[in-house]
Amino acid sequence: MEEKVPRSNIIETEIPLGTVHPAALEPYRVRLFVEDEIVQEAEITIGVNHRGIERIMEGLPVEKGNALTEKICGICSNSHVWNSCRTAEIGLDIEIPERARYIRVIMGELERLHSHFLYLAHGCETVAHETFSMRVFYLREIVMELLAMIGGNRVQYGCPIIGGVRPRCDLDEAKLLRLKTDMDKIEEGLTGFADRFLADSILISRITGVGVLPTKQAIRLAVTGPTLRATGVARDLRTTMYEYDDFDFNVVTQPDGDVKSNLLMRVLESFESIKIIRQAIANIPEGKVVNRDWEMFDTDMIESYIEVPRGTLYHSYYLESGRIRHCIIRTPSMANIAAMQYACIGDHITDAQLSIVQCDPCFTCTDRAIEIIRR
Amino acid sequence: MGIKSFSRARAIHVMLVYTGGCNGCDIEIVNSILSPRFDAEQYKVFLTWNPREADVLVVTGPVTHLNRKPLEAIYEAIPEPKLVVAAGSCALMGGVYKNIHGDIPSEEIEGPVENIIPVAAKVPGCAVRPQDVLAGVVTLLPTLLDAD
Repeated sequence: MEEKVPRSNIIETEIPLGTVHPAALEPYRVRLFVEDEIVQEAEITIGVNHRGIERIMEGLPVEKGNALTEKICGICSNSHVWNSCRTAEIGLDIEIPERARYIRVIMGELERLHSHFLYLAHGCETVAHETFSMRVFYLREIVMELLAMIGGNRVQYGCPIIGGVRPRCDLDEAKLLRLKTDMDKIEEGLTGFADRFLADSILISRITGVGVLPTKQAIRLAVTGPTLRATGVARDLRTTMYEYDDFDFNVVTQPDGDVKSNLLMRVLESFESIKIIRQAIANIPEGKVVNRDWEMFDTDMIESYIEVPRGTLYHSYYLESGRIRHCIIRTPSMANIAAMQYACIGDHITDAQLSIVQCDPCFTCTDRAIEIIRR
Repeated sequence: MGIKSFSRARAIHVMLVYTGGCNGCDIEIVNSILSPRFDAEQYKVFLTWNPREADVLVVTGPVTHLNRKPLEAIYEAIPEPKLVVAAGSCALMGGVYKNIHGDIPSEEIEGPVENIIPVAAKVPGCAVRPQDVLAGVVTLLPTLLDAD
């Protein structure tokens, strides 16, 4: 499919939704410009949730700042702490124990599972298929309990610290065994879900060809994560991250970029996550989980990119006498907002919400002051 | 028990309003009412997104500047009797966003929720546990059912 082009002439009918609207879980404003009930142009505005996180991180001690990054997002909270600690570790040349690296990968993949399950449940609910939604929510509860077992809390686990992971998150034999048995349960449940999902011809015909994002356009808009991979581009930062060196997994892609591709993408990627967790459980090395043998010094700007459930996450800051300066955080939804706008175009107005949801929006973590520099 | 409270006890509608927290509490609350594990719907507690049919308003988040007006409008739109549950540490005291610098509160935050609308029950936790949310809503039920 060629690129989608928004109409340039003036469209009379505008349907604004938001900022607080029953159809959307998070507050954001979307303006749909409609002709004959077909969306010709969409515009998403965020900024309602601006809490000024980068501003309040300015001048905080780096350990405290890391703990604060966890509160950016309630879905990918672990990824934010992970990347923030990773940034400090890169800047201060801290060696991380092998065991801590494995536990971080396990936490990261569990988080990917719970994020993808949430996406599937939310997606199925937006299609108005509550039964599938409930099935996925039930599976998700297994993952949430595993996360609570390791981190001690269901949402904010606070697992990584500078130099490794928190000693509380160390995995003993019993925990590893429970992880292993629960992975079997999740795989079984997910296989059952996927079979039923694909066998449901009404649902499949409802979601095929809806909210298409063309490949060329996805690359041009710098879309990241599963939303990009669902358009057929095999780009995954996990293949370049040193944490994932020991693991064998496939980068899943789907051809079409529509809602069906996106939903299937998440299901298939969850299987890859289960595979990675199983490898980590089987090969987890012995040893300590945190390296306290490091010194603080002033650094230049440190940058770190990792792959989180929704795409590429970027953290950067300077360290000055142990304090954070000029923190910049870029979350994957920032790039994917453009994808949401384009995915709406050309579809019926009733599919607009579905087209936005298929790009996995998380406006909460995206809301911060933005300056767009045109070059 | 009058006919009013009898029928009201069979359809408690909870509305969730999100005012700028981290999304964690919201998912847990939706989870506690919808998901099959906790499933408040079996006790005839339903989730709604329409303020005009809500009985209990659950507020999460520290109330950012731009969220203040929508929150007030939603509160006004709910018919009497109405009760508000503030869920999560952000809704109770502004959370890390307001208080991380100690005595100098963040300028972005209008919260806690008490500053804006009257709160009947407070559910602590970061993020709240689904069991706690259910307990918070349940403690309000006598007040709600006895009201005219």
